[in-house]
Amino acid sequence: MKSKSLRPARRWIVRQLRNVLWVSAACAFFAGCATVKPASKVNTYVVLLPEESGARAALIVGDGANALTLDRPFNAASVDSAGKPERKSPTAAETDKIFAAALAAQPPKPISFTLYFETNSTQITPGSRPQLEALMADAARRQAVEVQVTGHTDRVGSDADNDRLSLQRAESVRSMLVQTGIKATFIRAVGRGERESLVPTADEQPEARNRRVEVILR
Amino acid sequence: MGGLVQWPPVKLPSCKVEVSHFMNSCYRTLIALVGFLIVLTAAARADIGQIKNVSGEVFLLRQNVQLPAKPGDLVQQSDVLITGANGAVGVTFIDSSRLSAGPNSRVELKQFRFDPTTHDGEFVTHVQRGTLAVVSGQIAKRSPDAMKVKTPTTILGVRGTTFAVKVEE
Repeated sequence: MKSKSLRPARRWIVRQLRNVLWVSAACAFFAGCATVKPASKVNTYVVLLPEESGARAALIVGDGANALTLDRPFNAASVDSAGKPERKSPTAAETDKIFAAALAAQPPKPISFTLYFETNSTQITPGSRPQLEALMADAARRQAVEVQVTGHTDRVGSDADNDRLSLQRAESVRSMLVQTGIKATFIRAVGRGERESLVPTADEQPEARNRRVEVILR
Repeated sequence: MGGLVQWPPVKLPSCKVEVSHFMNSCYRTLIALVGFLIVLTAAARADIGQIKNVSGEVFLLRQNVQLPAKPGDLVQQSDVLITGANGAVGVTFIDSSRLSAGPNSRVELKQFRFDPTTHDGEFVTHVQRGTLAVVSGQIAKRSPDAMKVKTPTTILGVRGTTFAVKVEE
């Protein structure tokens, strides 16, 4: 009785076990495909671009024994999941194709303007007028521009008077910018008095190049 | 903090002396804790840069909240920039570094520290996917190992450089 009833049951169990084995093997195979394949495809591609300033620069790809140095424009490297960098030599056109959208979104470089002033006055010198025009035009072109205006004086007069004059100079430039309708997210005017001479001089010595306002557009 | 000793300002009529004393110390601990947290988060949430241009779909992910990004938005350490299939975004940082991401990108501003006086600092960006163009600023100029760009497969050390990186999947 016992052996008769067990035999089909045993056969059933063996069949089920075989099914489980097949299913798990199939699962492992597909799971393997699903996880291993994309992981092996993850890849970093990096290219050094020409410097705006023309200065020498370098990029170190990876670290330790695997590290590779890129130090010429359009030097490039590719690094897969194994982490070993491999040199590439793309053309400028290939690089441009891959990075066109990212490069087009590059914000303009922060720029600095210097405006000079008449003695003991908040009047800009005639020679600085073109700089003022250039500043206004550049500020108008920028999106979400931050403006930092810093006033300076030469060393004639007391520290307190120069602090006041430097701030007045900065404020006059600030109000000119505001009047032209520049939509700055941040515009700040500060006076540094005679503390930061462009040209070092003895105290009480007049110096036209120190009577100035520096404007940074970012 | 001297004024907080008087807390709560209104004496609770139903409270026994011991209970109100207990409540008092509870309030003080709570207020000290809240104050401490505010100081902590204020320190951690300094603005490090500003979004200058946005095109297509661009999001800023901050502390699990994802909001559409627009020009003028300020960015902070740990923020993640995310662009859609036609999205691109440009950011200028307080050290004058500039980053711009192309479509389908995910870029985490992992670590940022900058001293405007000495120019000492640290800038670590993590490109999780997509394309990123980088023009390094004062941080990389001051110290050659201060600026790094991480990707899932490597790390880039920036020695005062203009470059572009792509993470392909």
